[in-house]
Amino acid sequence: MKKTRSMLVGIAIVLCLALTAATWSAEKGTPENPWVIGMSQCNLGEPWRVQMNADIKSAADAAPSIKVIYKDAQNDTLRQRAHIEEFIGQGVDLLIVSPKEAAPLTPIIRNAYTNKIPVIVLDRRVVGEDYTCFIGADNKKIGEAAGRWIAGKLNGKGNVVELKGLMTTTPGQDRNSGFRKGIEGTEIKVIFEADMKWLEPDARKEMESALARFDKIDLVYGHNDPAAHGAYLAAKAAGREKNIIFVGIDGLVQEGQAYIKQNILQASFEYPTGGKEAIEIALKILKGETVPKEITLKSRVFTPENLEKGGEWLPEMPASSAPAQPAKKEQ
Amino acid sequence: MIPLVSNTSQKTFISRLMQYPVTRAILALIVIFVIGLVFNGGGAFFKWPAHRDMLRQYSVFGILACGMTIVIITAGIDLSVGSMLGLSAVVFSLLTIHRDWNPWHAIPACIAMGAILGVVSGGLISRFRIQPFIATLAMMVFARGLAKFISGGMKISTSIQQADGSYIYKNDPAIFKMIDSRILDGNLAVVTLIFIFCLFISWLILSRLRIGRYLYAIGGNEEAARLSGVPVIKAKIFAYGMCGLFSAIAGICQAAQEYQGDPEAGVSYELTAIAIAVIGGTNLMGGRGSILLTLFGTLTIGYLDKILSINAVSEAGRLMLTGVIIVSAVLLQRRRK
Repeated sequence: MKKTRSMLVGIAIVLCLALTAATWSAEKGTPENPWVIGMSQCNLGEPWRVQMNADIKSAADAAPSIKVIYKDAQNDTLRQRAHIEEFIGQGVDLLIVSPKEAAPLTPIIRNAYTNKIPVIVLDRRVVGEDYTCFIGADNKKIGEAAGRWIAGKLNGKGNVVELKGLMTTTPGQDRNSGFRKGIEGTEIKVIFEADMKWLEPDARKEMESALARFDKIDLVYGHNDPAAHGAYLAAKAAGREKNIIFVGIDGLVQEGQAYIKQNILQASFEYPTGGKEAIEIALKILKGETVPKEITLKSRVFTPENLEKGGEWLPEMPASSAPAQPAKKEQ
Repeated sequence: MIPLVSNTSQKTFISRLMQYPVTRAILALIVIFVIGLVFNGGGAFFKWPAHRDMLRQYSVFGILACGMTIVIITAGIDLSVGSMLGLSAVVFSLLTIHRDWNPWHAIPACIAMGAILGVVSGGLISRFRIQPFIATLAMMVFARGLAKFISGGMKISTSIQQADGSYIYKNDPAIFKMIDSRILDGNLAVVTLIFIFCLFISWLILSRLRIGRYLYAIGGNEEAARLSGVPVIKAKIFAYGMCGLFSAIAGICQAAQEYQGDPEAGVSYELTAIAIAVIGGTNLMGGRGSILLTLFGTLTIGYLDKILSINAVSEAGRLMLTGVIIVSAVLLQRRRK
């Protein structure tokens, strides 16, 4: 036993030395000795986040000067914190973090940032300004755009069912409050609303209840595309899908856009992942160029009419609908 | 809350009746049903579609609960049913949508896979004497991992990504539409029919076959059962195998109703399945319970959920009310001295 253990320790030491030697040997940022980027994803259980990693991967594969290591925290804040600690310990050249929660992950991200590791924060914010760049889309604006599009589609009047995402999460809250702002001043009534926890089977169940209660439903607004799809299946089972318009959010190629192609949804609002942009910014940072502190991603709306053309960019919203800024230090 | 009755013979009749678990299970169901009649969601509860949809939605949970009941009767537990459902949904979608398998090959393949994984759990528990909680917890994690591995973390749907990153779109397989359709003039979902079939099979096993008596004997007192010649190891492996098999059937139904195989499907469904079995009156300590009780358990939990849903109760309220009502139902069912 003792012999094996000391042998293992020996091998480990040799490996460590070899690794250090390899990292010290040559200039960084070449295909032989690429920059190492640590990517900490909060939950690969969601298709949208799988898409984010896929976008990062396809952009990174095109850049031979970088190598990305992926870690999935499986929706656990403390696990994500441990992953970031591991990346720091391992001395990565840059961090991309898509945090699960702001407050608990802020100290560790600040730690990396003050230790001269550039940090790109993706999608969800952290508290303060101790990161290099924030890239994200704005759920409130997307919700508001959806509200306006719906108001236009229904000529400002009608009965809407709202299938909400988990209302304890910011995307759920923002897609709800943005939408309510978008339909303000119209005669659109939300006659039934329920929390479907982002899950399609739950959305279908809630829609069945809405159908059982109300004879006139003009439109279903789902906080994600699976919700709108689940609602469609419920309406179809009741033979009422022809009289209802279904609208969702996310606009993934294999979900929202596919549903539009199959004439299930009438609109899906893109919530971009920012994966491609993260790698572009990462390359700039690593090459020593300056980058903006904050990048708000533009989103598109997909409809049956514009799907072939690759969707239509949403117009810029007035500043009043900008997201609430997190508490800033020194202000 | 039995009304005071002056007639003693009638009183004893009621209390005698209340000794049967089935009567108590029915009583819990009636209470929930009355709540539904009062809070009827603007009259929605008085129409058949609300009931039909509840039966459709709870069929998957009910199928899981059939397997769970068999396992609980042996004084065991199976935490892996939700993950197995997800795995089966992924494999079934992959075979039928991506590989264009004939459903009459894909369905037995999925069911066999579920049964084999169940047998593995059963073997670990009976042969290697790992606690059921631990062995099936391991299987729960493993099966979820396998589902994610096979699917690459993505939902297996009719949009299929090609090697170059573009997508092709296939039609929904006929078998999905068939399982997600309704019979009897649109009044009964096919999945409910499958649930009834699973109930029948479980009833056959537990009440009409020798193996059923073995399972009750093991749950009552495993050592005594072994000493009186019950093949304990084989019987337990059979119980977990059946539970895996039912989970696979539930997974097929889930995939057909979602028109896709979601590797995340079925998370926490095991808890609902356990709640259904227990609320029906099957004893977690083993040896007592029946499939009829599980049917009433399914209806009780299903109606509770439906009533909360048609009244659009907020999520926070739903969770609290569900907790309170589950405890009340169990208290109501407790054997009176």
